[in-house]
Amino acid sequence: MRALGPGSVSSLLKIILDVVYVALWIVAGAVLIGFIASGVLVANPDLLKGAITINGEVTELSQRGPSVMGAIAAGGLYVGGVLIIVGRLRRIFATLIAGDPFQPDNVRRLRVIGVMLALLELSRYVVAGLFAWLAPGVNKADAGVSLTAWFAVLVVFVLAEVFREGARLRREAELTI
Amino acid sequence: MPIRVHLDRVLLERRMSLTELADRVGVTIANLSILKTGKARAIRFSTLDALCRELGCQPGDIVTFEPGPPDDPDGGED
Repeated sequence: MRALGPGSVSSLLKIILDVVYVALWIVAGAVLIGFIASGVLVANPDLLKGAITINGEVTELSQRGPSVMGAIAAGGLYVGGVLIIVGRLRRIFATLIAGDPFQPDNVRRLRVIGVMLALLELSRYVVAGLFAWLAPGVNKADAGVSLTAWFAVLVVFVLAEVFREGARLRREAELTI
Repeated sequence: MPIRVHLDRVLLERRMSLTELADRVGVTIANLSILKTGKARAIRFSTLDALCRELGCQPGDIVTFEPGPPDDPDGGED
């Protein structure tokens, strides 16, 4: 099976990325609604009276509310980061399907993906640190340095340079008569 | 670039149009225009061979070297 062009592995992967992209937007919407809803409930805890109670105490929500909102916001930022990565990947795969991978734009897209992967990995440390600070006993998050993640970041940056060289060679080929 | 292309001058001397030359050598007009305007980065021996054959000239009639600073390898037209 071919790797590039229409009906290739690339087009199959592009379909998967499209589905993931749409799903991520739905998740992002849900996170946004959850953030707004939690903000409204924190501002007006009385809204929950007579409806539902959390651990039997409505007042607990107003105490935990900011941390819940923070967690939702962190989740939203994470989803946003993944959304950016998948969005750039979709555009890269669109060029692969078109049979023209060495477009100059792909260099920038790969760099954005590398930066986002690094930021997501750094945000994991921040979140783990915050959990350890705010709730020392509850922290189950792994705050250890992931060599795999940083290896992936470096590989993506190296691939960006490979694509930059490919784009330069393509330009050379275009201007070779 | 220190390499100068004199295709327009050779064409004028032969009273040949770019379109006619393109038909004869099997190169698109767009590519010949790139060559004629000095935007080309390289020229294949096969293209040079066809040009010299159809124009009845030597490679030195089409391209010459004029001392000067070399071009930026990444090109300045992007």
